[in-house]
Amino acid sequence: MYNLHLSPEQLQVRDTVRDFVAREIKPLACAPQRLEARTRPLLMDLLDKASQMGLRTLALSEDAGGADADHLTCCIVTEELAVGDPDIAAVLAQTSTLAHDLFERLMTPDQRARFLPPFLADDRYHLAVAEQEPDRDSTLGGDYHRPHASETGFKTTASRVGDMWVINGRKDSVANAPVAKLFAVQTSTGSRGVSTLLVPRDTPGLSVIENEPSPHWHHGARGELIFNDCRVPADNLLGAEGKSPLAGDTGRRIPLHEALNLGIGRAAFEAALDYAQLRVQGGRRIIEHQAIGAKLAEIAIRLEVARTAIWQAAWASDHPEAFADRSLADLPLTTIAKVFSSEAIYHATKDAAECFGAMGVMRDMPMQKYVHDALVCLHSETGNSDAKLRIAEALTSYQRPADAAALAAE
Amino acid sequence: MDFTLSNEQRAWQMTARKFADEEIRPISLERDEISDPRETFDWEIIKKGSRLGFRTMAVPKEWGGQGTDFVTQALVMSELAKADSAISKTFSQCWKWSHLIAATCTDEQKRRFLKPFLEDDTYLLGKGISEPSAGSDNRLPPADDAKAGLKLRAERHGDEWILNGEKCFIANASVGKLFFIDARTDPNAPLKQGTTMFLVPRETPGFRIGKVFNKSGWRFYQNGEMIFENARVPHANVVGPVNGSDMKTHQAGDRTGGDLFGDLELAANALGVCDDACGMALTLARTKKNGGRALFEQQVVQLKLNKMHLLTEALRSFVMRIAWEHDHKVYSANAGLCMNFSTDVIQEVTELNLDIHASAGVLSARADKLVRDAIIWSHLAGDSVQRMKATRRLPK
Repeated sequence: MYNLHLSPEQLQVRDTVRDFVAREIKPLACAPQRLEARTRPLLMDLLDKASQMGLRTLALSEDAGGADADHLTCCIVTEELAVGDPDIAAVLAQTSTLAHDLFERLMTPDQRARFLPPFLADDRYHLAVAEQEPDRDSTLGGDYHRPHASETGFKTTASRVGDMWVINGRKDSVANAPVAKLFAVQTSTGSRGVSTLLVPRDTPGLSVIENEPSPHWHHGARGELIFNDCRVPADNLLGAEGKSPLAGDTGRRIPLHEALNLGIGRAAFEAALDYAQLRVQGGRRIIEHQAIGAKLAEIAIRLEVARTAIWQAAWASDHPEAFADRSLADLPLTTIAKVFSSEAIYHATKDAAECFGAMGVMRDMPMQKYVHDALVCLHSETGNSDAKLRIAEALTSYQRPADAAALAAE
Repeated sequence: MDFTLSNEQRAWQMTARKFADEEIRPISLERDEISDPRETFDWEIIKKGSRLGFRTMAVPKEWGGQGTDFVTQALVMSELAKADSAISKTFSQCWKWSHLIAATCTDEQKRRFLKPFLEDDTYLLGKGISEPSAGSDNRLPPADDAKAGLKLRAERHGDEWILNGEKCFIANASVGKLFFIDARTDPNAPLKQGTTMFLVPRETPGFRIGKVFNKSGWRFYQNGEMIFENARVPHANVVGPVNGSDMKTHQAGDRTGGDLFGDLELAANALGVCDDACGMALTLARTKKNGGRALFEQQVVQLKLNKMHLLTEALRSFVMRIAWEHDHKVYSANAGLCMNFSTDVIQEVTELNLDIHASAGVLSARADKLVRDAIIWSHLAGDSVQRMKATRRLPK
């Protein structure tokens, strides 16, 4: 049954993280030097502390050393972290969900025995997937509802030499690249499709270039990977050759980016609500003026409706059977939540900043940062324009001829 | 209805366009990217623009200025803003207070202040109203709270006034040479009956500039703190009657209750930014390919371009109408409404421009800058107070 009554464990983890954010993250994240979008290096010490609290291994099973959190709990934790710092939230969300996917679903027992112990032992061991490449156009755009006109394959190649894979090529915009110690790399293995290889950071032939912190369209930290005759053992193949087990976006993934976005909106809302009860103009606290009251109400409405969409998508990703038995509409609920919540929250952060007058645009104050961070969410991951086209294709279960051919070949 | 520009208006527009393209646009992004807010300013561009008349063009001809009309001023603000909104505003801020000098100062004050203003390419003007605890209260003083509004105190001692207090967010504070300062001269009277306006030159003893605010947009434009510690201003620098600061607009022939120039100024500036955004988006759509075809061929892109252009053209019509109405001394709530409208338009148009770039995978620092500049309109031109203020000017 569709149930959003949080369990005592979920409430407890939320309160714990909320307290951590208020005590440890907020004071540092809102320090003036952190408020400029252009210069925001990761707060590594806080990332370590979050790891020690178990937030890096949140989604791992208890057997594997984690907290066995379900997707909804992961979203709740991501939202709370993002109220303090979206970059910390993004890094931890990526590592903890990848840990679950890689160690528990996709690795062989041998791979798990090799990679899990060092992952558990090191608070600074993060995970990443390397997919995007320079000049590879991953947008749908002009290919909406028709076969791909542009080349969408990977230029990064892996060839088998003896019992090694030799990787050559370049990946960019890799989330977590600056902190990851293990990469799952999407490679082209000849005509046999896409193969995923596990590449430890210290492998000879792999260089990691950390991107400058800059106002790019993402939260967290990104970088480039350059593979120059980079050799990994044949055993590092994840899944079968030519059949990457890393699923493409079906529109039903865990809505972690959306939860992060919600945290940004909440930070702006909480600041505006506090300020509206302190600031006096027109002879009374500004919250007592209809204009500000109605604005705060609209912000609250936008955030709550966004939360409803995000939590439904999170619950659905925990209960895929609810699609099968027709409890839920057969729709890409996460993509739907993404588009709605990013637009609603951007609007909400602008309204929240407006409550501060000129202070809403000052770089040494947090409001302009919340507006910027919410703007990033409109365009990060699959941008909203493309996301709407993807939803439209899903409405009629459209399958690209190329995709259909790949499925038939399996 | 005749929308034809005169030869003189056309000439100003063309000079502004050339200056904007050749001199302002090349430095726009680099000034925006400087992180120290005091260092974003560039005197060279001010001097160059001043020599072309862009600093003094609102001063009446009989006082040695160019005496341009409001239509010309709107055209020039838009053209300059198309290259850089904040640089355009730095020039037009001088026009705003040129209008005020022309309308309210005595001939003796005009001789003392307009002459050096006209002669010195680095002579910029400003006006101090906002204070840390008085923002909206100055724009829309509450009827039921006589104490609300600015607190800067001025007390008369013989032929001098002694000013004490603080101003914040004041435009051109760190670069201006002459400021109009609103100060409370009767602390027991409501704002409009207890405030006097003073001309305060930069070198006034006891007057200094504090920090320059670090804004996310309009980074070239200098907004600073002003600190008055027993600042001594001669009585000869009082503008209009004592306790009659509010008379300024009335004397200027403005029966709207609002600024004769300020509302038009923000709307015309917004128009220039929208023109830039439309140009950027259209160029990208025609040149960038996706799936082997120009972006422009995509229906969703066409619909975004359509929204950008229809809003921009609607704003242009509104701005030029307000300028014409000002030139014909037809005053109404329209100027305020146009300023409010420009907030909605500049934000939507710059956001759509960014969206078209980001959706095509193009990281454009300029598209990002235009959005940050546009957000400045929220508190200057489009917040609830500015909207209610315009509403209250509707005919009774």
